[in-house]
Amino acid sequence: METAVLVILGGLTLGGMYALSAIGLSLIWGALGMLNMAHGALLAIGSYACFAIFTYLGISLIFAVPLAMIAGGIVGLAIYVVIVRHMFRHPSFETNIIIATIGLAIVSENLILRFFGAYPYKQPLSIQGGFRIGEIFVPYQNLIILACSSVLVAIVGVLLQNTRMGRAIRATAMNKDAALLMGVPIGRVYAQVMVFSGCLAAVSGIMLSTITTLSPTMGDSPMIKAFIIVAVAGLGNVYGAFYVAIGLGVLEAVFQYGIGVRFAFPALLLLVIVSLIWRPYGFFGSKTVVRN
Amino acid sequence: MTVQTRPTHRRSAASPDYLILIALLAVGIVLPYFMDSRYAMSQLTLFLIWATVVSQWNIVMGFAGIFSLAQLVLFAVGGYTAAILGKYFGTDMFLGTLLGGAAAVCASLLIGFACLRLRGIYVALLTFAIAQAAFLLINSDTNCIIGSGQTCQTLTGGPRGLSQFGDYGFRQLLGRNYIVGNYYVALTALALAVTFSIVIVRGPLGFAFKALRDNETVAVCSGINRYKYQLLVFAFSAFFTGIAGGVYAAHFKVIGPSVLGFPLLAFLVSMLVVGGLGRLWGPVVGAALLMLVDEQLKEFTEYRNLGLGAIIIFFIVLLPDGVAGMIERVSKKFRGQLGEKQGHWGRWRTRLGMPMGNKLHKQSSANS
Repeated sequence: METAVLVILGGLTLGGMYALSAIGLSLIWGALGMLNMAHGALLAIGSYACFAIFTYLGISLIFAVPLAMIAGGIVGLAIYVVIVRHMFRHPSFETNIIIATIGLAIVSENLILRFFGAYPYKQPLSIQGGFRIGEIFVPYQNLIILACSSVLVAIVGVLLQNTRMGRAIRATAMNKDAALLMGVPIGRVYAQVMVFSGCLAAVSGIMLSTITTLSPTMGDSPMIKAFIIVAVAGLGNVYGAFYVAIGLGVLEAVFQYGIGVRFAFPALLLLVIVSLIWRPYGFFGSKTVVRN
Repeated sequence: MTVQTRPTHRRSAASPDYLILIALLAVGIVLPYFMDSRYAMSQLTLFLIWATVVSQWNIVMGFAGIFSLAQLVLFAVGGYTAAILGKYFGTDMFLGTLLGGAAAVCASLLIGFACLRLRGIYVALLTFAIAQAAFLLINSDTNCIIGSGQTCQTLTGGPRGLSQFGDYGFRQLLGRNYIVGNYYVALTALALAVTFSIVIVRGPLGFAFKALRDNETVAVCSGINRYKYQLLVFAFSAFFTGIAGGVYAAHFKVIGPSVLGFPLLAFLVSMLVVGGLGRLWGPVVGAALLMLVDEQLKEFTEYRNLGLGAIIIFFIVLLPDGVAGMIERVSKKFRGQLGEKQGHWGRWRTRLGMPMGNKLHKQSSANS
């Protein structure tokens, strides 16, 4: 009983973290058909921005987090202006953008390393303490991560479903050319999505770094998990990504307990590959959204 | 859209490629006689190894349309197989290298069966995850197979990697100049790999992939099985990649998980992009250029990766065809083929990687 609660709690925390890193990625992948290999870098940029604004500029955390979000948005916009804008009409956009964002990830990781060094700083925004269920200690931080990820998912979902901007984003995702003919300014939609995803990544990065430490490569491992989650969930389905993130988080915790930490990720990967062969469009995806 | 009749000179274009190969091979064979620095020879050998890997990666990614990021996994499988066989069974490194190639083929078939049923972007994602999983598995390897405690030896050597598994034995044969022996082994591997590339690209398989890229529906209706052909090319190129891994292990007498790390991936991707993805001679050009640049930047090691990233972005955004594509366009311009079709502004647009419209671009890519 004790272990079951422990495993499930650990899994939920993992799932919340994965959901956090998957949201921005899912949005960008669904709307732009672009596998953003620099997403991990965006996570790192967001959390370092919050850390720097608080520590070096001495601005209170209430403002530091929104400022970090703005910084993330600006970086997202910069990626659009410098890279994506020139490429999205190219016939092999899907593959070229992967290479371009790999380059971007290397550049930003090294820039962070230049400016901040490799010292594992602690994120100033963290809440101590927790409560007990029986013998098990539950930190507040883990609950906040879970809550934060569900709130963000809901915000993104509402934005996509109920606003004019969201409708334009969905139209672009379904058929770029048709959307353009209907008068959707595709370039602006792309820019909006990039800014939005940059903001989301910044929040995710800050939350992720509250239970680990800051490092230039802190986003790499969450990014890979996020890729897997988005693929399993199906393109562009933000709610689906959340459910899959929680599910995979719990599953990974079970694997970690059952067959050891070392083999948990490979086992998960195997499961994901099998499920993708079984359902190539993901569990929540529909064939209409898949781009060719 | 009108279906363009394929220009007939494509087929005869095979012979210049073989001529270039023979010329380069001749240069490669005589080069050691003009080199007296062991460091330069070692770097040249490394260039040959990377050129082999990148040429095969180019076949997989640029021609067969498999967006695999697991090429270095196959390289590592080859290298680790040779190293493990040499260390625990005393296998001769030549045999070990060949077996490394065979092991890489097996690994590629496994990865291929799992991933190639999926389309483009999913392949990239899963192969990237596989590479990461392999890195983590090797890095966290703590199960001793021989000894324990201080003398613990794990199968893969964990984060420190494997060493002391022998080499090609040129030291006894050539004495101080043993690197020249390794150099020729690597040169042979590269020559075989490039020959294979030419056969694939200029042969029926190359046409099949071209057809799939230009118009998939027509190609599939003509009986081209994408999955089968992709698996075939993936497995064959894995063989040469695995061999390159074996040569790497034997040359440096050590192999570690760093071959699966992000810096090396970035280095090889930049070779691909700078040379020109999907251009036959791109990888060799790219590997040569990147090795030269890397050599010049030896003093600024802390900026090395930064520079690599910037190079990747610059080329993929502004020159997606790379240097090889640029050379091709310049030589075409001299022959006056491109100039008539696109006009001055159009040429500029293409050079900047900004095609004017879908149709025009398709035409120019069919010509290249």
